[in-house]
Amino acid sequence: MKAALSRPETRWAYVFVLPWVVGLLLFQLGPMIASLVLSFTDYDLISPPRFTGLDNYATMAQDPKVIRAIGNTLFYTVLHVPLSIGLALGLALILNRITGRAAGVFRTIFYLPSMTPHVAVGVLFLFLLNGQVGMVNQFLALFGVQGPQWTSDPDWMLAGIVLMSLWNLGSTTIILFAALRNVPRELSEAAMIDGASTWQRFRSITLPMIGGALFFVVIVNTIASLQMFDQVYTMYFGNTQAQNSSGDAALFYVIYLFQQAFQYLHMGYASALAWVLFLVIAIITVIQVKVGNRLVYYEAEERSR
Amino acid sequence: MTTLQQAPPAAEPAAPVPDDAGRPTRRIFFLIVLAVASAILIYPFVWLVSASLKPRDRTFSDPFLPWPSPFQPENYISVWDAAPMLTWLVNTLIVGVVAALAVTLSSAFVAFGFAYFRFPGRGLLFASVLGTMMLPGAVTLVPTYLIWNSVGLTGTQVPLWAANLFGSAFYIFLLRQFLLGVPRYVFEAARVDGASYLDLFWRIALPLSRPALIIAFVFELKASWFDLMKPLIYLQDPALYTLPRGLKAVVDQFYQGGDPKWEIVLAASVITTLPLIAIFFLGQRYFLQGIATTGQRG
Amino acid sequence: MAAAAMLAGSLAACGGVGANKGPAEGSSGSGAASLTTMGFGLPDEIATVRVDAFKKAYPKVNVTINQGQFNEQAFLSAVASGNPPDVVYLGRDRIGGYAARGAIQPLDSCVSGQSIATGDFYPAAQKQVRFADKWYAMPEFYNSIVLLVNNKAARDAGVDPASIDTSDWDGLAQLAKKMTRIKDGKIERFGFYPKLPEFLPLWAKANGADLLSEDGRTVNLDDPKVGEALEYATGLLESQGGWKKLKAFTDTFDYFGEGNPFAKDQIGAMLTEQFVISAMAGVTPDADITVVPFKDRQGKPVNMVGGNAWVIPKGARNPDAACSWIKTMTAADTWVAAARARADKRAKEGKVNIGTYTGNAKADEVIFSEVVKPSGKKAYDDAVKTIRAVQEAGFVVPQSAAAAEFNTAWQDAGTNVLQGRQKAAQALAEADAKAQKAIDEAQP
Repeated sequence: MKAALSRPETRWAYVFVLPWVVGLLLFQLGPMIASLVLSFTDYDLISPPRFTGLDNYATMAQDPKVIRAIGNTLFYTVLHVPLSIGLALGLALILNRITGRAAGVFRTIFYLPSMTPHVAVGVLFLFLLNGQVGMVNQFLALFGVQGPQWTSDPDWMLAGIVLMSLWNLGSTTIILFAALRNVPRELSEAAMIDGASTWQRFRSITLPMIGGALFFVVIVNTIASLQMFDQVYTMYFGNTQAQNSSGDAALFYVIYLFQQAFQYLHMGYASALAWVLFLVIAIITVIQVKVGNRLVYYEAEERSR
Repeated sequence: MTTLQQAPPAAEPAAPVPDDAGRPTRRIFFLIVLAVASAILIYPFVWLVSASLKPRDRTFSDPFLPWPSPFQPENYISVWDAAPMLTWLVNTLIVGVVAALAVTLSSAFVAFGFAYFRFPGRGLLFASVLGTMMLPGAVTLVPTYLIWNSVGLTGTQVPLWAANLFGSAFYIFLLRQFLLGVPRYVFEAARVDGASYLDLFWRIALPLSRPALIIAFVFELKASWFDLMKPLIYLQDPALYTLPRGLKAVVDQFYQGGDPKWEIVLAASVITTLPLIAIFFLGQRYFLQGIATTGQRG
Repeated sequence: MAAAAMLAGSLAACGGVGANKGPAEGSSGSGAASLTTMGFGLPDEIATVRVDAFKKAYPKVNVTINQGQFNEQAFLSAVASGNPPDVVYLGRDRIGGYAARGAIQPLDSCVSGQSIATGDFYPAAQKQVRFADKWYAMPEFYNSIVLLVNNKAARDAGVDPASIDTSDWDGLAQLAKKMTRIKDGKIERFGFYPKLPEFLPLWAKANGADLLSEDGRTVNLDDPKVGEALEYATGLLESQGGWKKLKAFTDTFDYFGEGNPFAKDQIGAMLTEQFVISAMAGVTPDADITVVPFKDRQGKPVNMVGGNAWVIPKGARNPDAACSWIKTMTAADTWVAAARARADKRAKEGKVNIGTYTGNAKADEVIFSEVVKPSGKKAYDDAVKTIRAVQEAGFVVPQSAAAAEFNTAWQDAGTNVLQGRQKAAQALAEADAKAQKAIDEAQP
């Protein structure tokens, strides 16, 4: 060990990884700890911080806006993640069944919405979703359906946001498509010869083979959903008028955190909110990984039988 | 991850005979489904561009007409008067390129360290790379702001890119995987010829990992171009705004702010989006390949 | 002008990445001083004439105008970072909160040092820029709220527009319904737009209630009269298709353009600040409209006034220049010059001018006796009389130490009730408790 440390090669190794270590301390671990400490204080940047113990956490538990924001965020996540992955998987499966240039062209088209900056997406859907004159409801009207007030009815605003999020499933489609391409054809063909139906083949060959990628998109989409900010902030926040007339029907957790930190300068309270978010995401990720592993084992067992 | 080394056009049809080859009706059905999906996904762009070229009181008229009628391209002139779009575009490009260069080079530097050397603590440090990949950015928002505030850099564009100088977990991971695929004798041969470790990095590792570097670069450029939260937090002077921050200001003023000028908002949205779409078409295969690669971590 | 601003912008941008603004460039003592503004734009001659007046009077001060609307978050971040602008333009309704937390400076020494004629300002405007017995801002415009009626809608409903009287709430509700036109679930014309939640204090006042005590310390949101007013206005909206549809509908309004909702017959009558009428005069001089006062239930005119104001943030580098700026921008002479420029411009374009309604009563006297001439368009000439008449009925919501939280509380309550998520009494009781807590905690 000692010998290893004194070798010039080792010293050079540390030189190379030094930026990471510094960045880790300065922008990750340091702020994490600072955030925890701040969460026990009342700090508005203008006057010095005041230690308040667990007050911020107690306030959170009773803050109706926190409860509302958590509710909205979870509601969105629970709708967005399965819907977007389901649709993306469907598209990827179809893409996988066609050949030639067409697959490439469609893949590009599916990805284009993902290249639209979130603010522009928010703006665009503010127009498209307008309940009175927006394109979405004009389209529904063609079929005699009177669409809801997507941007002003608190019961439908989250649904509108989910609809907007589904425009953006290019990345997920491409990840799943790439995974499907790696499924060895022989497996599927062998199963077909054995007389397995399309569904059986999908269930027992394709699904387990793309399990890793599927799993990855579930985790990534969940974490991103829980941190939803850009589009919704663009649509309903940041402007007093917009904010006042939409109330908290579209209040997402990170938006509330942002408001507390930078609009009201409640840095301590915002830090408490941040830590709770961190814990929630950590727990959800651990659960997903656990469940995922079990599923993978289960599939492996089933396959080995 | 190994697919990266040859840098083929991502996931081009590998299997020659798909099982629907003999069933043309099925193929046509699939093509129709895909075409309908494409039409739905493309439509919002068509509407956006078309509406941005119409007079204000026709914004919501004829939504299914793909071409603007009446045609009013002057909107793109009035938008420059209403908002300094050009300044914002230049800012976005500068910040984006600086941020992307910084993160690409620093991540490659660190990745080389992890890929080439064996040293005490390597496992733990690399675990920290993997561990922070999922760390929600919102958690460090407040302290990071306090750091920049304490050194007097809030109100400048520095916080938008400076943290990139220390590498980013995902790109380090990506580049390390890539470098692990480079045969070790390539480096050893250079060592024998007297190359220093910096030479190895600069002359061998960097050129060899070009595809992965480009992936990191274009992804970070996109991320920087998308970023709304950091400019919201750090920029107060409109002359320093990036496009998303500027577009948000335009929306606040001309959509929500009681002075509706939708043609301005729409034209500004197009200006914010179009350069990125252009960049996408230039670096298409890197974007698609990068995205496809991310899924293979699982 | 736009090109110059852009050029300046690009130059700033080039130094942008990596460049930190150095410490205090120039100060009041060294001759050349710099002055940076926030929240203020140069959209029209009213702004540019006054800025030019300042530049002429203080040629050595280098003025940088950061155009764009006031944004609370950007403002507070700038103050917190110790790198604030010198002078900020913002809504008067939130000054108390910034004063209480020390984000803006008292202006008493500015007022006495540069002898600003504060007595020239309307009393209601004066009241709104004072907190804890100190001046914290100087008022700009003086916006009055009146009822703007679409004559066609009134005639369709068989009513003489000039006779519409908002003191009769039952009658108003019926009229609103009659003026409304809905086709296939889509609103074509909204009968009566009460402008909630923004105008809740006005509706409460019309019903004889104040949202906040005179000293700004006791919240009265749970007063049953406030609840009654909110309930009434909500019912008004329900009978016309509901707030949700109205919101989506008004989101598509272009109040300041030729396609404004009155020109397009999209609205029957609405409560509005006079600047909407002023803008309409500039684009649709022949609009078929009538402007009448908003009356309380006793039949007396009632008018919630507001507008923007200038403040100097804590840590401003150049408070002296900022004070000079504030003095110039709000002085009677400057206003009159700006109003003249507006009148000339509108005359040249053949458009109607209904005058400039400033926070400076002395300036208004000159403007409305010398500058604003009858245009021959009866609707607008009568509008001027009505607006001038209701100015003295102007009231303001008192300043409080937690003005922003207080405003958010009642606006949220209003929105929740309008969206149908809560009953008025419950929403207002919750808002009352929340606002009271915020105010108690924020007392300096």
